[in-house]
Amino acid sequence: MNEAANTLFKFNSVSVTLGGNKILDKVNATVPKGSCTAIVGPNGAGKTTLLLTLLKKVSYKGEITFYSPEKKALPRIAYVPQKLQIDTALPMTVLEFMVSGQQRVPFWFGVRTKLKSRAMELLKSVHMESVANRRLGALSGGEMQRVLLALALAQKPELLVLDEPSASVDIQGDILLCELMDKFRKELGFTQLMVSHDLGTVSHHATHVICLNRRVVAEGNASETLTHENLAAIFGLHMGLAQISENCCTKAHLDA
Amino acid sequence: MPELTIIYDILAYLFPFEFMKISFMQRALLGLLLIAPMAAVMGIQVVNFKMAFFADAIGHSAFTGVALGLILGISPQWTMPAFGLFVGFSIMWSQRKSTLANDTIIGVFFSGVVAFGIAVVSRNSHVARDVQTFLYGDILTITDQDIWFILLLFFILFIFQFFAYNRLMYLGLNSTLAEVHGVKVSVYQFIFAGLLSLVVIFSVWAVGVLLVTALLIIPAASARNFANSSGQMFWYAIIISIVSAILGLFISTISSINTATGATVVLVSFIWYIISAIYARFLGQ
Repeated sequence: MNEAANTLFKFNSVSVTLGGNKILDKVNATVPKGSCTAIVGPNGAGKTTLLLTLLKKVSYKGEITFYSPEKKALPRIAYVPQKLQIDTALPMTVLEFMVSGQQRVPFWFGVRTKLKSRAMELLKSVHMESVANRRLGALSGGEMQRVLLALALAQKPELLVLDEPSASVDIQGDILLCELMDKFRKELGFTQLMVSHDLGTVSHHATHVICLNRRVVAEGNASETLTHENLAAIFGLHMGLAQISENCCTKAHLDA
Repeated sequence: MPELTIIYDILAYLFPFEFMKISFMQRALLGLLLIAPMAAVMGIQVVNFKMAFFADAIGHSAFTGVALGLILGISPQWTMPAFGLFVGFSIMWSQRKSTLANDTIIGVFFSGVVAFGIAVVSRNSHVARDVQTFLYGDILTITDQDIWFILLLFFILFIFQFFAYNRLMYLGLNSTLAEVHGVKVSVYQFIFAGLLSLVVIFSVWAVGVLLVTALLIIPAASARNFANSSGQMFWYAIIISIVSAILGLFISTISSINTATGATVVLVSFIWYIISAIYARFLGQ
């Protein structure tokens, strides 16, 4: 009973096979409610695939069980993709992008005032109000990720899913993005599930970690899970990386 | 069938030239004024979704549609759009079910469809004239019945675009993102593919299969160069397509020029594209 109250959902023995290759092998993992859960693992570990099972974009065996007091089938999910590959010649403004899922009346007649002010508020909350009339293609990687975060927040999510949110972002942008996400998670109370191979970010921001390499190697809170042994088990015996991670863990531990 | 006389009278009044008193010219102009903006608006998304090859495959299926009409003894007016729709949906369905690349699947259907058309035509030598219409288009022989067909498609298409334009722009950027955020991606994709198939078939009528892609993508490509937002892009595409249609038709009738109408329309829109590219290079964002 208590477990159900603290859990948003569980992967129960989730397996994915694509083209004869086993991408995920009986993954069992829990995502606690209100947590910042990070999925870490090397390239090809199936991290993104695990997110795609959740988004129903890939077929899988096993079950994903949601624990919801209202007995709803699915929480409201918002998604921030790894990197939005857009053609830079497309004349779509950031503001149009922000309301394209909400405004019915076509953009031929402009963006409606009410939706515009809501979108501007969201852009302001991620410090991006100055780019509202810029073309999407003119944004830098970090700016794009913050706009995508604002778009995700517009969905009023209960679960925010992020695929390598800082893959195309510089260090400054990464810190800002992580701080914004922490702030919104605390304010709005959603659960955050992200894929990352940046162990520094994970150890600073994640409250729950799933170590994945086709199957779950370890799972639990960040400082207990990101141990030398677990990282060596999923990334292979790469001492340098393990050493750095260990420092990060120590720092995260001290911060906590 | 209700008369279209009022519309023809308005066109003759708006363009008080001698040749606009001829009824087939009035019909041709009305046909182009309906087909060109439809193609231009669909073209915006064809460019976004990178579906030019898809459109080309549907265009070639028009030929086979004519051939099928011959075999079944049905008017090509029915078999062409029906077969175009069938091919369009088949490609969409296969793309969703197969792991092969999209252009590979289109290429497979493209060759199958064209081979079938050639096979049928090779048995019936008297369809040579239809083949020429298929290649170069023949807007000057359009009938009132065709116009009614196109008028119906015009209304359906613009109602769809009115409600779907923003969503189509959204899913053109990233379909997974749009789907997770509540857009019914597959519904939009199938309706879009169906309407695109029909527009392409009617465009083959106007400009022929060799130039059908031009009618779709040149106004959209030029509009991209001029516009600063997706709202503006719509208006630029519409204006460029209409001006090109009118100028193309009129220039082609000048006795010293006397060129194929479809080709002339496309040439005018190509000039638009050059101007837009210069604008984007020196004055655009």
